[in-house]
Amino acid sequence: MKYMIAMFGSASEMGATKTPEWINEMIAFMIDIDARLRASGEMVYNEGLADGSQAKVVRLENGQPVATDGPFAEAKESIIGFWIVDVASEQRALEICGEIVQWSEVVELRPVPAGPPEQ
Amino acid sequence: MTSERAVVDLLRQLAPQVVGMLARRHGQWDLAEDATQEALLAASTQWPHDGIPDNPRAWLLAVASRRFIDAVRSESARRERQNAVAALEVRGDVPDHDDSLTLLYLCCHPALSVPSQLALTLRAVGGLTTAEIAKAFLVPEATMAQRISRAKQQIRAAGTVFEPPPDAELGERLAVVLQVLYLIFNEGYTPGSRTAESGADLTDEAIRITRMLRAGLPSNGEAAGLLALMLLTDARRPARERADGMLVPLADQDRSLWTTPLIAEGVELLDATLGAGPVGPYQLQAAIAALHDEAATADGTDWPQILALYTVLEQVSPGPVVTLNRAVAVAMVDGPRAGLALLGTIAGEPGIAHTHRFDVVRGHLLELAGDTAAAAEAYGAAMRGTVSVAERRYLALKVARIAATSRDF
Repeated sequence: MKYMIAMFGSASEMGATKTPEWINEMIAFMIDIDARLRASGEMVYNEGLADGSQAKVVRLENGQPVATDGPFAEAKESIIGFWIVDVASEQRALEICGEIVQWSEVVELRPVPAGPPEQ
Repeated sequence: MTSERAVVDLLRQLAPQVVGMLARRHGQWDLAEDATQEALLAASTQWPHDGIPDNPRAWLLAVASRRFIDAVRSESARRERQNAVAALEVRGDVPDHDDSLTLLYLCCHPALSVPSQLALTLRAVGGLTTAEIAKAFLVPEATMAQRISRAKQQIRAAGTVFEPPPDAELGERLAVVLQVLYLIFNEGYTPGSRTAESGADLTDEAIRITRMLRAGLPSNGEAAGLLALMLLTDARRPARERADGMLVPLADQDRSLWTTPLIAEGVELLDATLGAGPVGPYQLQAAIAALHDEAATADGTDWPQILALYTVLEQVSPGPVVTLNRAVAVAMVDGPRAGLALLGTIAGEPGIAHTHRFDVVRGHLLELAGDTAAAAEAYGAAMRGTVSVAERRYLALKVARIAATSRDF
């Protein structure tokens, strides 16, 4: 079963509020969990993203696509990284989320459907 | 059994020669490149078991020729123009002419986008497979195959023939080639790039192709300068990242980890080049890299000499990025406030202000000047601006260290 695990947070807040030791441990954890998911064959794909302040939102206004900064420019939390994993069960996916959330404010888990819904 | 590594090295070295010979003989360099790629794949499965043939270049040329003729035949069949095939025949003789440089110019054609130039150069000149290139750039193989075939179509549409650029354009075209090779090098050198897992090491490939370029243009100072710059930079690679993936800045690197033979080769190349002809930006950057590499400790760095070289570089090839680097040298020679003053002169330039590079340098100089609050603010801005996860982590740690120190007071 495929899931997307999305991690939310803000790099700018982290530097100001956490200790260097915490950040070092967080980095070690991120490198370690990526290595473990790869070794177990559960990792499909993962990326860390640029800070939310770099985001643009595209909306349709009067039929024309219009790109604007944000709305995350000032937001404390926006998506900062994601994993696509292929795991045996939702329980296993939740277990991975449980590890990640120790180092992230919020983690969101979403199933990635394997195919079109049955008729 | 022959080692797979030896086979791969040999194939990558021969690839551009085979494409060049086929293209010279039959034209249609894009078909020649496809045929060569097939011959390389055949060799990479056969040679490790059967051993390397006596004349590997002739072997590849014969196989590639057959594939080429098959491809032309099937195309002709579709067009019902059989006589085109009559002119084709497989010949065993191997001409001496090496068209590798012509091929390199073609792959770095100015009509192509930068990602296309990089991909095509690695495949046609570097002899890498599409799968290897896709892995190195972290895109699916089909995406990379599409990028390469689009690039070939664009070159065809530009009406380009398989010949070296005319003399009048040579300087301009060589500048693009050097830039493409340097970008390939940097792609591999960028922190957090996952080349270790990808099999093909872009840094090594860039050095290999630049060696080939330098051999083809032995009297060109910039080709030698670029090669020296790559060697002198690559020498520091073992020290620039900790085992846990954390970046180590130049000043904090364990210099005993640097690769001494690469430094020696780079310095020797540079000594033979500087003063022999007009000095260009790659030679100057190589000379700066050499001064860093030759310093036994960070404190022992010859900053006045580095500053002098940046001043020349700014005259030869002016731009905000050069000024940014010169500001660091100014700070090391005349103090951080002098460096910050120079930064102030480019703060309004749209190409550089509000880039994370600018904020990193500003933060560094403010930290040296003891203005920790402003330094943390600048590092924070850099952290939000960078798209490299490894760099963001490094900067987060910088901000946290400054915050922790100021809490202690």
